[in-house]
Amino acid sequence: MRSGSASFRLEKACVRYGSEAAVEEVDLEIEPGEVVGFVGPSGAGKTTLLRLLNGTLRPTSGKVLIGGDDLGSLPVRRLREVRSRIGMVHQDLSLIPNLRVLRNVLIGRLGRLSLLGSARLLFFPPRREVRRVHELLERVGIGEKLYERTDRLSGGQRQRVAIARALYQEPAALLPDEPISSLDPARSRDTMRLLIEVCREGGITLCASLHDLAAARDFLPRLVGLRGGRVVFDRPTTELDDDDFHNLYDLAPEEMLNDGP
Amino acid sequence: MAPEPGAVPGRRWSGHRGLVLVVIVAAGLWAGFELDLDPRDLLPGEGGWAIARELFAHALSPALDYEDEVPEGTRPLLLKALEAARLTVIFAAAAISLSVVFGVLLGFAASTAWWIGDPAGGHGAGTVARRSVRPLIYGVARVVITLMRSVHELIWAVLLLAAFGLSQLSAVIAIAIPYSGTLAKVFSEMLDEAPRDSALALRAAGASPAQVFLFGLLPRALPDMTAYAFYRFECALRSSAVLGFFGYPTLGYFIAASFENLHYGEVWTYLYTLFVLVALADWWSGALRRRLVG
Repeated sequence: MRSGSASFRLEKACVRYGSEAAVEEVDLEIEPGEVVGFVGPSGAGKTTLLRLLNGTLRPTSGKVLIGGDDLGSLPVRRLREVRSRIGMVHQDLSLIPNLRVLRNVLIGRLGRLSLLGSARLLFFPPRREVRRVHELLERVGIGEKLYERTDRLSGGQRQRVAIARALYQEPAALLPDEPISSLDPARSRDTMRLLIEVCREGGITLCASLHDLAAARDFLPRLVGLRGGRVVFDRPTTELDDDDFHNLYDLAPEEMLNDGP
Repeated sequence: MAPEPGAVPGRRWSGHRGLVLVVIVAAGLWAGFELDLDPRDLLPGEGGWAIARELFAHALSPALDYEDEVPEGTRPLLLKALEAARLTVIFAAAAISLSVVFGVLLGFAASTAWWIGDPAGGHGAGTVARRSVRPLIYGVARVVITLMRSVHELIWAVLLLAAFGLSQLSAVIAIAIPYSGTLAKVFSEMLDEAPRDSALALRAAGASPAQVFLFGLLPRALPDMTAYAFYRFECALRSSAVLGFFGYPTLGYFIAASFENLHYGEVWTYLYTLFVLVALADWWSGALRRRLVG
């Protein structure tokens, strides 16, 4: 996979932790540049699925292909290359609080640099790169925070930093994990709009996991419903009706407390 | 057996806490009896009273000049105290600099945090070799650290002085050995306890193991590590002063000499100098900590 946008294919992919299956026999095809949402209750396997797609998790059985490359057979070097083109926005953001925003964004590029190159980028960032980071921060709406210490930012602003870091990777795909779970409704809509816009502008494939059904239906053109690690539906949002969602979220009591990994 | 619905779950007897407390108290009492500790021993004898009274009488009036005749050309007392303080700082600084270098290296080896950088998460070529080498490095580092730490700097000083004589380097190394060990132990724990989310995110974005450790994990632990190194510097000041008892011209040397000559005012002058030194170091490291960790 070179730059441009990434396609994904899962063939009977399973992930098991011991005897527990987090993802079971999932078949999935995502075209380059598509915008897709994974929906379902907590513990349905959404995060596990994203981790399969970004190559940090290998399927226990089955296949994961990114841009035609079978992750199972890639040597470590190539695997790192693939990962460096997938921008994950982690649910906990995974920023370094005691660094400035600039550095936290610059860190996104390390996957494609040597050790020496990354030290140079972080400690003596060239003007061009600082300007690029500033552009990205402007794009996500916090340009003035470039030199702020990250732990001085609000939760919403920190999330913008995490998005900017993923974009600085020049990703072929963006995978936000529950991007709006800790935001109020107005900011949620704002963030969803932003994610979709930046992906459409750059032709980036977008796969977001969401448990907020309303937001998913409003913004994402294709939804994959997951429950108990299995795909319940996979259709354009316009073809889904309330019954589909009702079935997805109608939990049996013993499922309520099962939060999954 | 399922509890009745609505019943408050029974608090299970966790056992250990109470037992540990009883054992600790019992051990303390037993040690006291074994040593025949008697509070009356704190009352000094006849001569002791006089010395104690005189020593503490001088606490409020430290000497500003020598209490006895001194030869022409001797430096004024306060300058001498300053010079002793300067040397105390220099010995401590040399020792702590050496300790930080070895502390970082050993601390890294004795931590398991850097194992997470493994890009394939335990798959792929070379994994078996890596997996068997790592515990070996870890084990050796732990043993070395324990050996260094288990001997106090004063005992190292006795050994090194016997071997190399009263050289500056012996004093620095005597402090640096146990300090390297302590720094290494604490550094390794700080590295292992640092939040790993940013390191894992870096790995997910294709970073190499060295990048993951250096740029994802180390920055999370660095503020604490720096603050702790400063605290150890403060401890090194005291150790460096005490090494004066072996003849190094640090504050301890002059404290001992003045005490033997019954110049109690001078003793307090040097003690207060040490106090100010430690207080300054404390203030400095506190200010730094607030900025780093804050």
